[in-house]
Amino acid sequence: MKLFAIPTLLLTAALVSSPAQAKMKVFACEPEWGSLVHELAGDKVDVNVGTSALQDVHVIEAKPSLIAQVRAADLVVCTGAELEVGWLPMLIRQSGNAKVAPGAPGSFMAASQVKLLEKPTALDRANGDVHPDGNPHINLDPRRIYVVAKALDARLAQLDPANAAAYQQRLADFNTRWLAAMNKWKAEAAPLRGRKVVVHHISWVYLWDWLGMDQIGALEPKPGVPPTAAHMSSLIATTKSNNTLAIVRAAYQDTKPADWLSDRTGVPAVTLPYTVGGDAQSKDLFGMFDSTIAKLLGASQSGAAK
Amino acid sequence: MTLNWEGLDISILGPACVAGLIVLSTHVPLGKQVLSRGIIFIDLAIAQIAGLGVILAQYLGIDEHGYAVQIAAAAAALAGAGLLSWTDRRWPEYQEPLIGTLFVLAATGGLLLLANNPQGGEHLKDLLVGQILWVSYPQLIPAALLSVVLLGFMWLRRGRLAGLVFYGLFALAITASVQLVGVYLVFASLIVPALATAGMRGRGRLTAAYVIGALGYVLGLVLSAVLDLPSGALIVWTLAGCALLAQLVPAVRRSHPAHDAPEAVFDTVA
Repeated sequence: MKLFAIPTLLLTAALVSSPAQAKMKVFACEPEWGSLVHELAGDKVDVNVGTSALQDVHVIEAKPSLIAQVRAADLVVCTGAELEVGWLPMLIRQSGNAKVAPGAPGSFMAASQVKLLEKPTALDRANGDVHPDGNPHINLDPRRIYVVAKALDARLAQLDPANAAAYQQRLADFNTRWLAAMNKWKAEAAPLRGRKVVVHHISWVYLWDWLGMDQIGALEPKPGVPPTAAHMSSLIATTKSNNTLAIVRAAYQDTKPADWLSDRTGVPAVTLPYTVGGDAQSKDLFGMFDSTIAKLLGASQSGAAK
Repeated sequence: MTLNWEGLDISILGPACVAGLIVLSTHVPLGKQVLSRGIIFIDLAIAQIAGLGVILAQYLGIDEHGYAVQIAAAAAALAGAGLLSWTDRRWPEYQEPLIGTLFVLAATGGLLLLANNPQGGEHLKDLLVGQILWVSYPQLIPAALLSVVLLGFMWLRRGRLAGLVFYGLFALAITASVQLVGVYLVFASLIVPALATAGMRGRGRLTAAYVIGALGYVLGLVLSAVLDLPSGALIVWTLAGCALLAQLVPAVRRSHPAHDAPEAVFDTVA
């Protein structure tokens, strides 16, 4: 009897401890959510990020590894609100992983956790690129990231109860640092309040909403469709006459349209990181907002020097 | 570069591989004809016209999902094929430039229509840049049936496809394949195996072209998993690589006609 006792004990120990040893696997659609998972879970989970800051998340090139990563994932963290509609449904279908199917606990959509801006009251095609759920680009509002972090942390704890205490502690730590950083950013960005900007594509509303800035025009109001001559000439007039701070584009966007408008109006074109990894400084969410605000302030100083 | 073995999974690569073989089944014999007619960009033009058909259908308020879109795409492609078959009879010497002109007209015509249909852009992309990895088995059933019908038809005509019949078959094959694997792979599947075996004759040529094509797809899918690179783009390169390697086989290379000395571009000697 004793002969069997030790192996049985070892086996039982192995079975009990294996869920704690096998790390939870997380697939993040965008770098900002990969970074947030890292803040909240540290080395308790393995994170794979599907896209980089230098690519347009509306489209991705299909690689076998993406399907394999989603197949192995216990949790998929994406923006939702149709941002990834061009590839995420296919990726989840091809992975055949029911744990992360829409509606399952392993499917976490950040945009569902917060109130979205630009939610259309009536769906009308005449209004341009309408996302029926609202504008999905919420990663540029620290207040919404704060809300998402709390919900994401609860989901991590739900799926991986063995580490729930660690997640809770890391969330508390993140919240302290994040609120302090938000106060710092708010103070730094005070001179930007009320300033006007022209954007490449309408993916920045949450940043302007947070900083109290005004977007007065867009170079490419309809994605994928070149703007008309009439649109460009009215945009030049608007940009010139409003003491515009900057023409803003994301790191992944073509530089030509913003440079073109900058040449004709004297308003500086600024490339903002848009997400984690968008420039050298944006190594995490903190760095991303540090860099975004520093670059907008830089534009306001160079504008004032003229 | 680290090697990535987890993507090497038959349930991930299987549907893509079957899609590739279905596309090859019709495109290898059609490619032979395209090459001998010297109209190699016709697939790009037909695919673009099919895309234009979809945009036009949306413009007219037809539902964007389901079979209505497929019918619109096929109808537009067939209309384009009819036009090209007519120009082929009327001005055979200008067929290639006419195809090129039709391609840019269809592409820019789509942009003009989309200026007032802001959501159409994504659907145009959907149609033209099918991604081979997103293919699922149920999706392959209609494509496989269509290929069987097309191959049966070619077999009945003993491979002799003239005028309207050739252009019509070609339009249907391209409309289906572009949505499965995208326009780059369609072009490569048509032209590369046919080009690699250009010196061979008869049944042997067809067999060799099929082998080159199948090896290219399988190798491309496996390498894209192991090297973690986009599958569609890599298969184009492995197809070309297999075509080059095939030139080492004497039977493929043997019957290449000896080339005459190239003609001088500038007649400096005279």
